[in-house]
Amino acid sequence: MRLRKLLAVGLSLAMTLQLSACGSSAATSSEQTGEEAVATADETAESGSVPADDVEAPAPETSASELAYKGEINFMHYSTSEEAEGNGSSDGFRSCIAAWEEAHPDITLNQDILANVDYKTQIATKAAANDLPDVFLLQGMNTANWAKQGLVLDLTDVIASSPDASGYNMDLLVPFTSEGRYYALPAVSGGTCTVVIYDAALWKEAGFDSFPATWKEVEEASEYFNEQGMDTIAFGNAGQWQMNSCFLSCFGYQYTGTDWFNHIIAGDGQASFEDESFVKALENTRHLFADTKIFNSDFNAVTNEDAREYFISGDAAAFIGGNWDYSYIAETLKDDTEKIGNMKIAVLPEGDGATAYEKMQNNGFGYGLAINADVAGDKDKLDACIDLIEYLTGPSFAEYVGSKYGLGAFYKADFDTTGLNSWDIDLYNYSYVDNKAVAIYDSFLGGDVWNTLNPGLQDLTSGKTDAAALAGATQKAYTAFLAQ
Amino acid sequence: MGSASGVQAVKKGSGAIRVRDGLLGSVMNIILALFSLMCIFPLVWMLYSSVKTKREFNTSVISLPSKPTIENYIKIFANKDANLIGAMGNSMRTTLLSVFLIVAFSFIVGYILSRVSFRLNRPLYVMFLMGMLIPVHSLLVPTYIIFNRTNMANQWYTLLFPYVAFNLPVAIFLVEGYVKGIPPELEEAASIDGCSFNRTLFSIILPVCRPILITIAIISAFSCWNEFSFALVLISNNKAITTVPLALKNFTGQFSSDYPKMMAAMLITMAPIVLLYFIFSKQIIKGMVAGAVKG
Amino acid sequence: MLNTIKPRGRVIFAYLFLPVALFVFTVFVPLVAALYYGFTDWKGGPVKNFSGLANYAQLFKDEVFWHSFGNNLYLVAACIIGQIGIAFILVMLINSKLVKLKSIHRTFGFFPSTISALCVGFVWKMIYDQRTGLINWFLVDVLHKYKGMKDAPIWLNGEALPIMLILSIPLIWQYIGYYMVIILSAFSSIDTSVLESAEIDGANGLQRALYIVFPLIKNTLFVCVTLCVAGNMKAFDSIYAMTEGGPGTSSMVMALYGYNQSFKSSNLGYGSTISVAIFVLSLAVIGGSQFLLNTYMTDDYDKEEKRIQRKREKEARAAMKKRMKGGRI
Repeated sequence: MRLRKLLAVGLSLAMTLQLSACGSSAATSSEQTGEEAVATADETAESGSVPADDVEAPAPETSASELAYKGEINFMHYSTSEEAEGNGSSDGFRSCIAAWEEAHPDITLNQDILANVDYKTQIATKAAANDLPDVFLLQGMNTANWAKQGLVLDLTDVIASSPDASGYNMDLLVPFTSEGRYYALPAVSGGTCTVVIYDAALWKEAGFDSFPATWKEVEEASEYFNEQGMDTIAFGNAGQWQMNSCFLSCFGYQYTGTDWFNHIIAGDGQASFEDESFVKALENTRHLFADTKIFNSDFNAVTNEDAREYFISGDAAAFIGGNWDYSYIAETLKDDTEKIGNMKIAVLPEGDGATAYEKMQNNGFGYGLAINADVAGDKDKLDACIDLIEYLTGPSFAEYVGSKYGLGAFYKADFDTTGLNSWDIDLYNYSYVDNKAVAIYDSFLGGDVWNTLNPGLQDLTSGKTDAAALAGATQKAYTAFLAQ
Repeated sequence: MGSASGVQAVKKGSGAIRVRDGLLGSVMNIILALFSLMCIFPLVWMLYSSVKTKREFNTSVISLPSKPTIENYIKIFANKDANLIGAMGNSMRTTLLSVFLIVAFSFIVGYILSRVSFRLNRPLYVMFLMGMLIPVHSLLVPTYIIFNRTNMANQWYTLLFPYVAFNLPVAIFLVEGYVKGIPPELEEAASIDGCSFNRTLFSIILPVCRPILITIAIISAFSCWNEFSFALVLISNNKAITTVPLALKNFTGQFSSDYPKMMAAMLITMAPIVLLYFIFSKQIIKGMVAGAVKG
Repeated sequence: MLNTIKPRGRVIFAYLFLPVALFVFTVFVPLVAALYYGFTDWKGGPVKNFSGLANYAQLFKDEVFWHSFGNNLYLVAACIIGQIGIAFILVMLINSKLVKLKSIHRTFGFFPSTISALCVGFVWKMIYDQRTGLINWFLVDVLHKYKGMKDAPIWLNGEALPIMLILSIPLIWQYIGYYMVIILSAFSSIDTSVLESAEIDGANGLQRALYIVFPLIKNTLFVCVTLCVAGNMKAFDSIYAMTEGGPGTSSMVMALYGYNQSFKSSNLGYGSTISVAIFVLSLAVIGGSQFLLNTYMTDDYDKEEKRIQRKREKEARAAMKKRMKGGRI
C-alpha cells in the first residue's frame, strides 16, 4: 500500500510542521481564503516539507462564500461525544465537523448522533423506508446492496475531480465499491483491527525477550502464566464480532494468503469459504481458543472492553484487540510510567502449519461518508454535501488524527510527529510501516455472511460445531449473497 | 383423672403449636425478607456504584465507594449532545399524554366490551387481546415505513401512537375483568332513575373503577417512560423531541464502556419513575390488589 | 352483559372509533404490511421483488428459527413455573398472620417490574459475571466453594447450567412481583371464613393452598398464564442485553432472530416472515394453553357453575323481556 510508504517517508523526515488542523485553531483557519488553503493542502501532500511558520492550519478547502446553498443538511453519524473521549478518529471527526459548521454559517447541519449499535439499527430502518439522511456513514458491507437499489449517490466522478484527489489512497475505497463505481469516502475509524498488546516485563519473567513468534511458544508460555494464576492473553468475544474482526480476519490470511480474500470479494468463483486453507484457519482458531489454556476461559461471555480490563489490572499478560483498545489502554495506563513503558505491541504469532505466514495486521475503514442519491436533484445542496464529505475526509482530518494520534486516513497527509507519544508512534509503525496490511473481512460482502460466521465462531470455540460445518454454513450464506 | 390429663394434653399441644408457629413464622419471615432484599438490591447497588470511579468499580464491583464522587452525574448533565433537560421534558409530555389516553381509552373500551352486547363485541375483544402477541421488535421497520408514508414520523406526537396502542390490550384486559366484578344492579338502578348511558358511564362507573384506573396509569407510566425501541426508530435523535432513554444512549460509545457512568445514566432515567413508585407505592399496590383481574 | 341499558349503535361507534382506529393503525397495519413483505425478497431499500412462498419455505427448514421457538417455549414454561408458581407461594406466605412487614414486601416485590428490561439485563449480566459477578463472589468468598473467581462457573456460557435457565432467572425475578399483586388481588376476594374453618378442621398450610385457595383463584391463574405466554413468546430486551442470543445461537429467541435478520443481515423480507410466524405461533401456543387448561383443570364444580351462570343469564333475559312487554320501561 502506497499510504504506508508515503507516511513512512514523512515520518523519517521528522518534519517540524506545526499543524493542528480541525481543533482549537479552527476559528483562525476559517478566516483564510479558500485558495490559500487549497494550495497549502496540496503542497503539504506533494512536497511534504512546508516550513512551520508559513501555515497555522488548513481551512475548509472551499470558503463559505463559494457554496451557494443556504439551508439544512441532515447528517447522521455515530461519533458521540462519549466515544470521542480517548478515540482519536472519533475526536478528529467531531472536531472537523465543528470546524466546517463554523466556516459555513448559512448552512445548518442537523446532526443525528447515535451510539454505533443504535446507529446501525436506525440507518437500516431509514434505508428500508427510502428515507436516508442527506449525508451519512455507509458501512462497507452495505455498499453493494444499497448502491444497487439506487439509495446512495455514485461518487466516482466526485472523487476524480476532488481537489484532494492526488492525495487519496484509492486502496481504501475497495469496501465502498460496487461494480467498479465508488459510493463513499472512507471516514472516521481507520487503523489496525488486530494488535497484540503485551506487558514486556511479564513476558521476560516467562523467559521471552519479546512476544513469541509462534503460537506453540505462546502455549508453552501459558503454562508458566497459568501457574502464576494469570491469563496469558485476554480476549473478549461476547459481542460476536470481535473474533471475526480482531482475530480471524488477520489470522486467516496466515493460511489462505491474501489473494484468497481478493477472490472472495470479487466473487469470481476462485475462492470459497470451504477451501481447505480457510477450514484449516478455522480449525486452528478453534484449537487455540478451545483446546489450549492461552485465553481467559470466559472469552465468549465478556466483551473486548471487559477483557482489556484484565490486561490493565495485570491479570493477563497480553490482550488482543483493535487500535481503539490500544488507545484506551494507553490512555488508562499513561500515568503509570513503569507499566506504560512495559506496554509493547506485536503481530499475531505464526499458527501451526500456517503456509502463508507473514507479519500481518488488518487495516482499513469500515465506514465511509456517503450522500443520499436524492440530493443529486438539488445542485447547490449537492455541492454543499460534497464539500462537507471532502472536508471530513481530506487533509484537515488526516493531519489532525495523524499529528495527534498517529492514525492514517483516506488522505495521505504528512504530519508532524513531535506531538505524538512513544506508544502512538509504536502503533503507527505497526500499522503503516513494519507489517503487511490485509483487509478486514467484514468491511466487505454483506451482513448476512458475517451474521452467519460470527455466531458460528462462538459455537466453534465452545465446541458446538466443527470447522468444516461452519465453513459450509458460511459458504452457503456467501453463495446466497452472490446470487442477489 | 381422665379429663384432667386431657386438659393437660391440650395445653401441651398448644404450647407445641406456639413453638411450631414461632419457628414457621421466623422461617416465613426470613424467606420474605430475602425475597425483598433480592428485589431491591440492584437499586441499592447501582446507587452506590454510580458514585464510584471507573477504576474503583473495576477493582471491585461489590465494595462500597471509598471516596464517593458525583462526577458521573455532572458529566451526564453537562453533555451537550444528550440535552438531558430537554429530553426530560419531552419524556414527561409523552408519558403524561400517553397515560391519559390509555386510561381514557381502556376505561371506555373495557367497560363497553364488558357490559354492552353488540355484534362486534367478541371480535373486538379478541382483536385487542391479539395486540399482546405482536412481536414489536421485529416489526420496527414496517412500523417506521407506515409512519413515514403518512408523515407522522418525527413529530412530537409520534410516540403517542405506539405507546397508547401497545399498552391498551393489558389495560383493557384489566378494566374488563374489573367491571365484571361490579354488580350490574348498580347500572340497572341508575337506569331506573333515568340516568343516560353517558352519565352512568362517567358519574357512576368511573368513580367505582378508580382503583384499577390508577393501577393502569402507573404501570403504563413505567412502560412509556422506559420505552426505547420505538423512540429509536420513529423519532430521530432530534434534540427537540428526543426522550430520556434515547438521550442517555449517548453514554455508550462503540468502543468504550464506563459501567459506573452507565449506571448513573440508568438511575437518571429511572429516577422520576422510581420516586413516583415509592411515594405512591401503598396506593399503587392497593389499586392493583383491589382492581386487578378477577379472572 | 347489561340488560337494562342498551346504548344505540351510534353511541358505541362514537366511543369505540378513536381507540380502535388508533389501535388498528399502529398495531395491525404494520403486521399486515409485514405479511406482504414476507412474500418478497426485500433487502432493505425501495426494491421489493415478489418471491412467493420462498421465505416460508426457508422458514420451515430454518433450524435456528425452530431452535429459537423451542427457547421461547422454554421461557414460557420456566416463567409459568417460576413467576406464577413462586408468586403463588409468596402470596400464601404474605397472607399468613405470622408474617410481619407485609406492605414492605409487597412494595419491594413489585419494584423490579417498574424498571426497563434493558436495565434488568444489564444488571444481571454483571451479577452473572465470572470474575467480578455477585454470584461467584458469594460462591468463592463466602461459601469457599471454589479456590478463586477464575475457577468459578462462567454462567453466561451455559456450561454450568442450561443457558436458557440462566436467562429465565432475571425474567422471573423481574415479574414475580407483578403476578404476586395479581394473585394477591384474587386472594383478597376469598372469604376468610372458608380458610379459618379449614384450619380448625386441621388442614395444614399446604393442604389449604392446594385444596381451597388454588381452586378458588384458578381463573386468575389462567389469566396469569395467558399474560405469561404472551409476554414470553415475544421476549427480547433482557436477552438482547445479556447474551445477544449467544453463545452462538444457543439462547436465540424468535423476536431477536427476526430482529437480527432484519437489521444485521438486511433480510427484511425474511425478517417480516419471521414476525408473522411469531404472531401465528403465539396465537397457537396461547390457544393450546387455553385448551389444555380448560380440559385438564376444569372440574365438575366449574361445569356446574358455568351451567348455573348460563341459566341465570337466560332467566334475566326472560325477565327483561317480560318487563319490556309489561311496559315498565
